[in-house]
Amino acid sequence: MSLDFSVLDRFQAALALGLWTTIKLTFICVVLGCSLGFLVGLARASSNVLLRAVSSVYVEFFRGTPVLIQLFWIFFCLPLILGVELSNLASGVIALTLYMGAITSETFRASLKSVGREQFDACVALGLPKRVQITSVVLPQAVLRAVPTLLSNCVSLFKESALVSAVGMADLMFVGQNISNNTARPVEVLTIVALIYFAIAFPLTRAVTLVERRILKKLAI
Amino acid sequence: MNYTFDFQSVSLAPLFDGLLVTVQLTVAANIIGIVLGFPLALLLMSRLAPVRLPAMLFVEFFRCTPAIVQIVWFFYCVPMLFNVFLGSMTMGVMALGLNLMAFNAEVYRAAIQAVPREQLDAGIALGLNPLQRVLYIVLPDALRASVPVLLTNGIVIFQQSALVAIVAVQDLMYQAKTLSTETYRPIETFTIAALIYFAVSFPVTQIVGHLERRRQAITS
Repeated sequence: MSLDFSVLDRFQAALALGLWTTIKLTFICVVLGCSLGFLVGLARASSNVLLRAVSSVYVEFFRGTPVLIQLFWIFFCLPLILGVELSNLASGVIALTLYMGAITSETFRASLKSVGREQFDACVALGLPKRVQITSVVLPQAVLRAVPTLLSNCVSLFKESALVSAVGMADLMFVGQNISNNTARPVEVLTIVALIYFAIAFPLTRAVTLVERRILKKLAI
Repeated sequence: MNYTFDFQSVSLAPLFDGLLVTVQLTVAANIIGIVLGFPLALLLMSRLAPVRLPAMLFVEFFRCTPAIVQIVWFFYCVPMLFNVFLGSMTMGVMALGLNLMAFNAEVYRAAIQAVPREQLDAGIALGLNPLQRVLYIVLPDALRASVPVLLTNGIVIFQQSALVAIVAVQDLMYQAKTLSTETYRPIETFTIAALIYFAVSFPVTQIVGHLERRRQAITS
């Protein structure tokens, strides 16, 4: 078969609009999801049994089920339960934020754990109050260590955001599938869509490696 | 909220049929991923750029595009480009298997590169030839180190396999979608389907956690 990429010329604006939706969705969910993940990460390390149990169930459930089914659940079931109509964007944001919250909470938890026992002992020896211990000793190190993994979580979220096309949100994937159906040129259109995703995700993953190296150097470990 | 739950109207039989398909897809994709991921990792570490670069491109492409794009691309484009028409199950296995192969290759590569330099030096000091060094020093260590991550990736593929529902492979997700439109009971159906997914993947993640803790206890 012969390939003809010029069919895409007419659809540049549509693809750009889809990409914009994807980026917007990713950005909102990165901000909300990281904040949620941070709180949940703290909750999972707390001494309160109830708080720990609830946060663990939340994280395990969202990590143990496909994102697609989470999306379907929130798109179709949440409005029924709440009795309110949710816009596409709102449902997408809720679903992906909950997903992002679950995966980043694990990142924060691991980085909190990685702060060595001896640092706490040193704080005690120096007679630092609990508040100073947390804000000046534990958090700066933990957050710094979390940065590379958080970045790769963001890349994961960017990729998972393509799933919202399955519930009819007009993101890059959805627009691409529509164009490919209308023009009957799936090879060209879907390849371009894949390349657009690649062009964004690939530099980000490279950046993760660079940032990781710099932080490791800074922490001197 | 004034919704009355009715779990009775959701029949479980189609869901379990779907689960069987999902498990078959997962197992087949894992066989491809675990077996072929290894030679791919060796290509990734080759000193020859013409060997290394295509392998890197392959891996990065699968790692940097959404799985749903890969699956839809595979189902639409492979038949058109290569003029082959395979069953949807075969296509699903191939798409998921190639994806897993890319991710597992990175796992193997990291594990091989994590074998400490001094162990290789010790091998040279003992007069082992390069093949012996690889077989007796690098591989046993690297393979053991990669087991937990391979299992995690296997479970990720189990979850990603839900994506084939979009291209009409009748897996658990597909059956759940069909059932929810037939019964008008989306909440009950999707909740049960989610619980089934969870019931399979949760024990495996626990095993992975256990393996990792044991390994840490041994190595430290």
